[in-house]
Amino acid sequence: MNSKRKSFARRLAGTLLERKVGRTYVEEFLGDLDEMYEDRLAAKGKFIAEGMYWIDTIHLALGFSSTAQKQSHSMFLGNMVKIAWRSALRHRQFTILNLLGLTLGIATCLAIGLYVYDECTYDTFHANADRIYRINQPMIWGDWSEQMGTTGPGVAEAIRAEISDFEEVTRILYQGEYLVRVAQDGNALNFNETEFYVAEDNFFRVLSFPFLSGDPRTALKEANSVVITGSTARRYFGDADPMGKTIEVKLPGGAFTPYTVTGVLADIPSRSHLQFDLLASLASVEEFKESRETWIWTIFGTYGLIREGTDVTALTEKLQKLPPRWAERTTQSIFNQSFEEFTKGQSWTLYLQPLRDIYLAKTPDFNRFGPSGNPEFVTIFGAVGILVLVLSSINFMNLSTARSSNRAKEVGVRKVLGSQKRTLIRQFIVESMLYVTVATVAALVLVQLSLGAFNVLAEKQLALWPHLTNPYFFGVLAGFIVIVGVAAGSYPALYLSAFKPAETLKGKLRSGFRSTGIRNGLVVFQFTVSIALIICTFFVQKQLSYTRSIDVGISRDHVLQLYNIHQMGSGADVLKARLEENPAFSVVSKSGFLPPHVWTSDRYRAEDSDQPVVDLNYMRCDENLLPLLKAELIVGRNFDPGNIADKYHVIINEEAANVLGYGSQETWSGNSPLGKFVVQAFGAEDKFEIIGVVRDFNFNGVKQRIGPLLIMHNENDKHWSYGPGMPAFLSMRLNPATVRNGEQLQRIIDDVKSEMARIDPAVQFQYSFMDDDFDNTFREERKMSVVLNLFTLLAIVIACLGLSGLAAFSAGQRRKELGIRKLHGASVRQLVFLFSSEFTRLVALSIVIAAPVAYLMTDRWLANFAYRTPMDAWVFVVAGAAALAIAALTVSFQSFSAANANPADVLKDH
Amino acid sequence: MSRVIGEFEELVLLAVCILDGEGYGVSVKNEVERHTGRSILLGAVHITLYRLQDKGLVESRLGGSTEKRGHRRKRLFRITQKGMEQLRASQEVRQKMWALIPELNLGS
Repeated sequence: MNSKRKSFARRLAGTLLERKVGRTYVEEFLGDLDEMYEDRLAAKGKFIAEGMYWIDTIHLALGFSSTAQKQSHSMFLGNMVKIAWRSALRHRQFTILNLLGLTLGIATCLAIGLYVYDECTYDTFHANADRIYRINQPMIWGDWSEQMGTTGPGVAEAIRAEISDFEEVTRILYQGEYLVRVAQDGNALNFNETEFYVAEDNFFRVLSFPFLSGDPRTALKEANSVVITGSTARRYFGDADPMGKTIEVKLPGGAFTPYTVTGVLADIPSRSHLQFDLLASLASVEEFKESRETWIWTIFGTYGLIREGTDVTALTEKLQKLPPRWAERTTQSIFNQSFEEFTKGQSWTLYLQPLRDIYLAKTPDFNRFGPSGNPEFVTIFGAVGILVLVLSSINFMNLSTARSSNRAKEVGVRKVLGSQKRTLIRQFIVESMLYVTVATVAALVLVQLSLGAFNVLAEKQLALWPHLTNPYFFGVLAGFIVIVGVAAGSYPALYLSAFKPAETLKGKLRSGFRSTGIRNGLVVFQFTVSIALIICTFFVQKQLSYTRSIDVGISRDHVLQLYNIHQMGSGADVLKARLEENPAFSVVSKSGFLPPHVWTSDRYRAEDSDQPVVDLNYMRCDENLLPLLKAELIVGRNFDPGNIADKYHVIINEEAANVLGYGSQETWSGNSPLGKFVVQAFGAEDKFEIIGVVRDFNFNGVKQRIGPLLIMHNENDKHWSYGPGMPAFLSMRLNPATVRNGEQLQRIIDDVKSEMARIDPAVQFQYSFMDDDFDNTFREERKMSVVLNLFTLLAIVIACLGLSGLAAFSAGQRRKELGIRKLHGASVRQLVFLFSSEFTRLVALSIVIAAPVAYLMTDRWLANFAYRTPMDAWVFVVAGAAALAIAALTVSFQSFSAANANPADVLKDH
Repeated sequence: MSRVIGEFEELVLLAVCILDGEGYGVSVKNEVERHTGRSILLGAVHITLYRLQDKGLVESRLGGSTEKRGHRRKRLFRITQKGMEQLRASQEVRQKMWALIPELNLGS
């Protein structure tokens, strides 16, 4: 048996035996154990062999432990714990502060650790997660340097034909909301399904979502079959077996088509970037049959399982040969352009994105499917978690060190009585490790108790208990206990144990105890971090409230918006007419897209100009929307319902006029864009006349600058976004006279709801207010700010705990000094000032260090936003003042009691 | 012999005797297990071997190693004269007592 191949457990057992059993026996025992291990391994397998090895080892160790020549220290351990316990009781205040700070720090770090772990382990549950890649491509409908997470279906066809490195390639697509009708007890129930995806028959061979019933290999084979999740099945059929049942599915504008349920999936794990409730077979999609080779129907998520051992870099290179060879057929037939003409020299790169990276990656920007994480938040939280842990550990070391000088006499006495230096060092280290252990256990309990609230805050489903069975988790905890315990214990241990007993007993240690420099440094560090955090959270808050107050160029208050209008077909106009009669609304408008969610763009150019093709965002609406939004027309006019020709007229915003090459209002001087034409740079190159220019307004939130916008008429059928399936909305401006309180508002909403149900009960009633929608574009940031506030508070609390502990220590040390000063006529005020100024100086120093650090960090964060709140100096002043006030308050209790003490009492004893 | 040895001690002593100088922890354990059919912990064998050595019933020396043992030597036990006498004494005691059982007539 080669000893290098021994398992860790067996080597550990060997070490144990060596320590416990006299040297004379170890060799033969270990030999016997190894021999028996080999025999058992051959006869009964590794598990039994390992287990019996341990049992035998322990048995031998117990039987022969008295034969060890070196005396074991285990008998002292109980003694050490006893001493630690007594000293903890004697300094109760220190003990509580110490444990509280450490527990808070560990708990915070644990909670954040759980959060970060959760964010970083998306999509790892698939059987071959490490070999699954998604194929991304450039955003060919806009800025080619950006990526999108979907491709045309032709990409998968090309890979199958040419590249053998993939075991399997599959496609999934999202077409929008569907209506689902299910017969239940003779009644037809309607469901509006937003998470309805369509996937190819080999989908589950790549992504192994677990099945409850049905066969993953064949479930998506036939046309009109559908796989649903367990909770969807319960919604549709209650407790009945859903397999083989029929549901009716309707795309908006289509007809109801029967689908058969061929499989039931376990509910999609929360840590999956694909979140669907229903998954229909790709064979059901009619358009797919003719367009399976196209490269411009770019809504297909293409996922591939590569063969084991494939070189991904080489594979990516191989993929780049595909677009020029395969996409040309599409560009020729659709745009009448060669591949080079279509790309204009930009490279149609195919990217391989590892499945496990998809959730947390910053790219692609478009068509990512499902939820996506924010790597910045993970970094910020991770950093905050580590900071809080470091703060509390420092706190702990600081307090332990401060306290230990009180124990100089104990150390002296023990040395006089023959205690060895090594035993003393061990005593201090064991003590501090005990503290850390207690705090860790308390932190585990605390996290378990508060996880529910934290989950609500972070909108997560974190759980502690699955980690408790993970040996690595315990390894990390144990490592932490040892590191912090040894680090906190070693300073007092080495320092005190080195003293000469005669001196410490005479009390010389106190004057010679020179660790104040280190301790002050640690306090400065703690307060620097706390103050920097205060400043950062201040600016996060400030930025968030600033975004609410930005002038977005339109009036976003009092606008009610209704969704799912396109599902009503011609009923939409009936509803609109009914709502216009309602006195609660001053204007009603129908539109495709609504601010702040105008994200789609197309390529346009100005006619008769040598300006390049540009991307314009577009929205479509009727003549009422611009007045409803109170958008201001600079020149020209709004759509006119009496003018049929307006169907093909467009209104642009200032930025669009600028990028199309007309210049701005100041420069076009009489030669305005009115009457000019914009040309669609695709298809039949239709052109639209510009009848107005509207002042820039924020149509997609306030994170970005205002982009170019083209406003089309609802009835413009020359653009591909015209059709019954395209989303449509109704927006209403509330008449302020009719809405005085929440009750009236609720009544109006109920009215609209019943009106809608009367026209088409199948359509789901869904509404929002535009100002809320603008607010919600900052949902993530708001969530972050709440969590950040909480952690800032924790950091401050921990820093204060540390400070008050040090102040108490210092007060104890200087009692006599203060007493003597008082005897000589110092007033209480002078003493408090004297005592506090020492700490105030430390906090002031922290402010000086923290300000530039916080400035840099805030500046970097604010760079994410187009509209940023100014970095006012007063924030720094307020944060500094707040820190000083908190510190002074913390110290004041100690300083007052020290200054108020009767000098006679103080000077009498010792 | 005046001193009495326990039942397990006797089994181990017999095994050492049978193995004739090749008895060490594992082989003694296997030998006892083979004859009695019970399962024994290695530690028990070692403790007993050393107790017997303390009593002077066996003697030991460090002996040959094998690769299986990680090239560690074994402690080989051999029965002493005193040990032999002890075994015989126990055997005699038993036979005397067997003989005293009245009219034991098994299996007709």
